[in-house]
Amino acid sequence: MPSQQINHPLPFGFQLDRYRIERQLSLGGFSIVYLAYDEDGTPVAIKEYLPNSLALRTEGQVTPVIPDENQASFRHGMKCFFEEGRALAHLNHPNVVRVLNFFRANETVYMVMQYERGRTLQEHIQKHKGDIREAFVRNVFTRLLNGLREVHTQKLLHLDIKPSNIYLRTDGNPVLLDFGAARQALNYNGPALKPMYTPGFAAPEQYKAPEEMGPWTDIYAVGASMYACLSGTSPQAADKRLEKDQVISATKRWDGKYSGHLLETIDWCMVLDHPERPKSVFALQKVLAERHHGIATNQPTWFQNLGQGLRSLIGR
Amino acid sequence: MKFTIYQESRIGHRKSNQDRIAYCYSRDAVLLVLADGMGGHLHGEVAAQIAVQFITEAFQREARPLLVDPFMFLSKCLGNAHNAVLDYALERDLPDAPRTTCVACIIQDNIAYWAHAGDSRLYVIRNGQVFAQTRDHSRVQMMIDDGLITEEEALQHPGRNRVYSCLGGGTPPQVDFSRKTPLHAGDVLLLCSDGFWVPLGNDALAKGFSGADVMEMTPELMNRAETVAGPTGDNLSVIALTWEEGYGEAPTTRGSVETETMPLNAHTTQMEGMDKNRARETELTDEDIERAIEEIRNAILKYSK
Repeated sequence: MPSQQINHPLPFGFQLDRYRIERQLSLGGFSIVYLAYDEDGTPVAIKEYLPNSLALRTEGQVTPVIPDENQASFRHGMKCFFEEGRALAHLNHPNVVRVLNFFRANETVYMVMQYERGRTLQEHIQKHKGDIREAFVRNVFTRLLNGLREVHTQKLLHLDIKPSNIYLRTDGNPVLLDFGAARQALNYNGPALKPMYTPGFAAPEQYKAPEEMGPWTDIYAVGASMYACLSGTSPQAADKRLEKDQVISATKRWDGKYSGHLLETIDWCMVLDHPERPKSVFALQKVLAERHHGIATNQPTWFQNLGQGLRSLIGR
Repeated sequence: MKFTIYQESRIGHRKSNQDRIAYCYSRDAVLLVLADGMGGHLHGEVAAQIAVQFITEAFQREARPLLVDPFMFLSKCLGNAHNAVLDYALERDLPDAPRTTCVACIIQDNIAYWAHAGDSRLYVIRNGQVFAQTRDHSRVQMMIDDGLITEEEALQHPGRNRVYSCLGGGTPPQVDFSRKTPLHAGDVLLLCSDGFWVPLGNDALAKGFSGADVMEMTPELMNRAETVAGPTGDNLSVIALTWEEGYGEAPTTRGSVETETMPLNAHTTQMEGMDKNRARETELTDEDIERAIEEIRNAILKYSK
């Protein structure tokens, strides 16, 4: 069996439960996301559970073929998909994607989510490369952290935060998308379902010590996403950083272009050693808010104050 | 009851481990079970897993804390496990039913009872000698019995792997039963797959386990078996138990199990070699899926208000 198969999406116009498929929005290792319309013509995003390594749908097929030896793993992965659905169903937050329905068809399961108009932060970064203002970064991430805090309150880690999973609504409000990695990385080391991570945004412990993952793991990804906003590209992957760290600290790289406070915060989130990072989203928000309305000019005591603030947080 | 027990299953140099082993005890009865899924057949490890799980579950149901009739229990269990494997193949429309050997042993009231199908073995080792052992359901064993070859020649025989009785095959298994065998303190009961006994031979086993601590000796002998078997070594699995009561003086061994204080209906179970199939135990049924979806839908309704 080839290790990587390509699954074919359901075709345009396909009637899936009470939804009509418009087109494929994205294809991941565990799922396909479609744009579809319900009977009222409301657009929705439908996520289909279809792990590449376990199930295969060839062109023209509807029901995927799941080899017998993969049944147990396929069902296990389905459990994770339910976990995601369950967690999202309990979250009703403007900065977290909303689940609308959940159903079973074609021997697999589907999660219907609110379809957001707008574009991803990734697209925004690419369009405005090198020209992203501090106010924009603060605005997007302060609100996004509200959503992430809610996620962590539900005892869920996102584990795949990155600019392409952050959606910017047309009103500018960010929405955290794709909880596919959440939980999948936890509690299971089976051979067929490897935890997935995105190089550049995944924290070192996701590679090396999954048992040490916590809110700080998502915080690393938040820091890396902010870093990517300024640089226009993803930072060096954490596993490579552990070998030879080539990430130039934000404070050094953008000195004078952005406030020292923002840059320090980014560096703090991206510390390789997780106990040195902000312990919780709340801790990070507190720091971000501290200077949110302040003016980041060159006040002489500014760095000292921040340093003390950081130390006291780390010291806890 | 008082005994010391050690079990381990190793993959050898094969791609997968098709051996499954487990032991389980209540206050007054012990079950030991070993199954060696047959590699030439589809899903050999599935057959082994079904057999071990089926028999362990039956023990947990019926040993409360004693089994009413150990031989009847073994007979029923091995027969039903055979049928459970066939059902599995039928449900999934498999072209060929998966197969497995099986050896299972019950000890209660100081007496051992065992039954087997295939070439996984049980030995009772007493005073450094093989006191009793199972007789393989294999062609070479028949040739030995007919005086055509010697035990030593059989170990090298190319048809050594061919067994004529197993669980899950097209014909119902031929199951052989032991006599009721009273145990002495210091007796070692050894259940093992052919990946263990073939490379070592009876003498090495009898000598190795003579007066030794099974906790230390078993892994050591397994190392030796792996070395002898070389780069093509089969899966190897062992359950070794030293009985520490009965007639004669009980040796004191570290790590021994005493069951006197166990609640009447409690069981302790240890399974090995199942890591690959751990998901099976918690497999989602169709009802589980429907329930999960229902639950998520309710949460969506509740939280969207």
